Amino acid sequence: MRSPLRARSTRILASVGLVGALLMPAAAPAAAADPVVLRVGLQQTLDSVNPYGTALVSGYEVFGLTYDFLVDYGPNNEPAPGVAESWERAADGNSYTFHIRKGTTWSDGKPLTAADVCFSYQINLDAIKDGKNVGLGYIDPSVASAGVTKVECPDDQTMIMTTSDPSLRPLQLGVPILPKHIWGTKTYKEIGEAAFDAPQVGSGPYQLVEWKTGEYVRLVRNKGYWGKQGAEDEVIIQFFGSADTLVQALKAGEIDYARSPNAQQFNQLKTEPNIVTVAGEANGWTEFGFNTYGTGTGKTIPKGGPSTKALQDPAFRDAVGYAIDKDLMLQKIHLGYGVVGTTPVPPVLTDWHTDPNDIRKFDLTVADQKLTAAGYVKDGSGNRLDKQGKVISLKLVFPQDDDTYAKAAEFIAGWFKEIGIKVTPTAMESGALVSAMLPPEAGGTADYDLFIWGWSGSPDPSVLLEIFTCSAIGGSSDSLWCDQHYDDLYAKQNTEGGAERKATLDELQQYWYDQAPYHILYYDANLAAYRTDKFANWQNQPKTGTPLFATGTLNYTLLTLASDASASPSASAGASAGAGASGAPATPAPSADGGSSSTGSSNTLLIVGVLAVVIVVVGGLVLARRRSSAKDDDE
Amino acid sequence: MGGHYLFRRLIQAFLTIIAIVILNFFLFRMMPGSPERILLRNPHLTQATVDAARERWGLDQPVPVQLVKYIVATAQGDLGYSFQYRGQPVSEVIGLRFWPTIILVGVAEIIAIVLGLALGAYSGWRRGGRVDKVGNGASLILYSMPYFVIGMPLIIIFAAELGWFPTSGMLTPGATYTSFIDQLLDFGRHLVLPLATVSLGLIGGYSILMRSSIIETRTEDYVTTARAKGLDENRIVRQHAFPNALLPTVTIVAINLGYVVAGVLTAEIIFNWPGLGTLTYQALSVRDFPVLQGVFLILSVCVVLANLGADLLYGVLDPRVRT
Repeated sequence: MRSPLRARSTRILASVGLVGALLMPAAAPAAAADPVVLRVGLQQTLDSVNPYGTALVSGYEVFGLTYDFLVDYGPNNEPAPGVAESWERAADGNSYTFHIRKGTTWSDGKPLTAADVCFSYQINLDAIKDGKNVGLGYIDPSVASAGVTKVECPDDQTMIMTTSDPSLRPLQLGVPILPKHIWGTKTYKEIGEAAFDAPQVGSGPYQLVEWKTGEYVRLVRNKGYWGKQGAEDEVIIQFFGSADTLVQALKAGEIDYARSPNAQQFNQLKTEPNIVTVAGEANGWTEFGFNTYGTGTGKTIPKGGPSTKALQDPAFRDAVGYAIDKDLMLQKIHLGYGVVGTTPVPPVLTDWHTDPNDIRKFDLTVADQKLTAAGYVKDGSGNRLDKQGKVISLKLVFPQDDDTYAKAAEFIAGWFKEIGIKVTPTAMESGALVSAMLPPEAGGTADYDLFIWGWSGSPDPSVLLEIFTCSAIGGSSDSLWCDQHYDDLYAKQNTEGGAERKATLDELQQYWYDQAPYHILYYDANLAAYRTDKFANWQNQPKTGTPLFATGTLNYTLLTLASDASASPSASAGASAGAGASGAPATPAPSADGGSSSTGSSNTLLIVGVLAVVIVVVGGLVLARRRSSAKDDDE
Repeated sequence: MGGHYLFRRLIQAFLTIIAIVILNFFLFRMMPGSPERILLRNPHLTQATVDAARERWGLDQPVPVQLVKYIVATAQGDLGYSFQYRGQPVSEVIGLRFWPTIILVGVAEIIAIVLGLALGAYSGWRRGGRVDKVGNGASLILYSMPYFVIGMPLIIIFAAELGWFPTSGMLTPGATYTSFIDQLLDFGRHLVLPLATVSLGLIGGYSILMRSSIIETRTEDYVTTARAKGLDENRIVRQHAFPNALLPTVTIVAINLGYVVAGVLTAEIIFNWPGLGTLTYQALSVRDFPVLQGVFLILSVCVVLANLGADLLYGVLDPRVRT
């Protein structure tokens, strides 16, 4: 007996097979003229390609590749020649003369002169004068904090910068040099809000030519770049929604570099062939902080604020610090990647970090004794009481998007229970958490006691140190701590340079550690993994850091092809990109001509094609069904 | 009568969409956390900049004014500008993401409907048979599995280990194609794993549904009658049991169609499929109100249209409904 049901399924299977055949892996087109592409993946999207409009690491990487800085970052983040070939500092320390590289051009061929540099700095100074920011305000504050008051360009090759104090910070401001012939007619406000549509015109090593929102950005080699030329003709930075997929893409060789796999994934990647893992030191930390609102000001919040005055007491904060086993947490939560934390100047800033005296060692007995000595005694049932006689019960908040925070909260709640302090961990969606932590100064009620979260900084320590100043309350301050002595030290180091600044920073770090508005749990590691079968000469910036997503984009220009490994004799020399004359390109730049529009942007055509295939398949199925029904009816 | 029925359904759908437009506006504004605080989590921002951002995004105005402006603009087809993507028009942001989701969901639905209903019908009719035991078990497992649990093993096996298909994305980023066929093939290779994931996830549900529906019809009088008339089994299934069993299934499948667009979110995230799911996820985490409103509007319209479609289709399949 013939079975139409079965017959039809055979037909269906045949149709599916047809589609399957179409979808069989096609050999990747690899013509000889194909550009050499460096593919970089990270678990983040991109918000803007405007240097002043991005708040994300991905955005910094993109504009760092497209635009130059006046002074660049060397292999160890030291000041290195950028658009300025050299510079001198005036004898009084209050002005710099920069000598702009001769013969440099923008990617559109126009000459780059001091006028471009002055224009790029002036938009920041204009905003500072108005008490405003350019765009999101990540760049102009560094100009303000470095005390830059005036920029002048007497001729095409000279820029003179006047500063209000002798600090060395004017050398590393991260101000992108924009082409005046394109942006010169715009105000800082317009520039801050502009889209900066690709293709962009810059003077950096790779120029942005394409941005597919939420998918990737593509940058092509700037053949006229003054510095060293990397082996890659193009850089594609891809955005991943899931870290698991990111790691699989690296294993499959679809990407050459993966930023921030988690510790477990990192360990798995260690044994993979052709993959190298790097645990770089991060310029940042994970903190366990206290809501100290009222410290130094005596202010209270009617329906919110810290639940006990104990949090405002340095003795209390110090004592509970002995009940946190940072070593164990680092081992258990981060599998040992990272460094146990102390002061708010991360050790990666080797010039400025100081280990404080009397580092707290985990000891619950000491914690207990110190609490009792400070006047926090236990009641009959073992609960710790504050000085008002109230049982201390603390609300610990942390963002839910990172499970390491939840694990840290569990550890701390467990140890605090041992010393009679009840802690209630509460995970919150990070957007909601930002709002929940706002003090009255920013229109919130700061209804929390403890928090776990993280910060990351920049090559100058002031950025992170500012978080603890009184004036940051209502802004970045999350401990809501206000201490005049700290503020004085902060202001002092801000205007000092060299050894003087180091001495002040030493004092500041010790004072902060003793006061403990936070306990810094650890300086997290920057984990990264990259493939070595396509590119060679991967270097870390700084030495203890990671190759990419570093402070500058130097390493993009140092990569060589793995296939001609012999061409790169000194892998560790860390050759500075611009030690004077523009070094001869290591690799001759092949075809990629900065063209932008030729690639897969014809999505409309694609969609029509796919719909056509679907219609054909569906139509085929319907026909098949019709015919078989007709046959059946004939029976 | 048919025209009246259609008209009533259309009016209902229209009113529902208006209600949704208004609801969307309040829904996102009730969430704790404000966009300017999240997008601008910056240690150095001056109050002037925060205020300027609020003004630019229209958040400085009273809520009723914002609502009226939003409704007027939406009616004119203007969905506003994305906060997250610094001023890109929402219609542009969503437009780029719409088709990838529709293609993924559309093709997956077709595969799942055909295979799911076939499997369900077969195993339901031969209840307790070999196919039923295996098929129903597999269906139950697949039905209860979230997409990422189905998708991740596929990535590990077929992309990372075997290298047959790419792990993620829709096209190879930055690839240049010599012909349209090239591009289509590249797209096809990228589509296979996400498509397999979503289809597998859907087949289970449809198969279970169809199976129970067929089992019910087996004991119906008309089936007994047909059998008494001496019709062969296959004909009974195809011409009597299957069409009747299809009725409840069609409703569920049609309604499901609307939800699936939203439901493929996790599949889109793990495969980095540039669709509405990943867009929603990103927009939600930074409170990108205009994009969220836009996406939810589209999703709601999908659900409403799917319902409308189900109603109308039901009317076609079952004349009793058309009153």
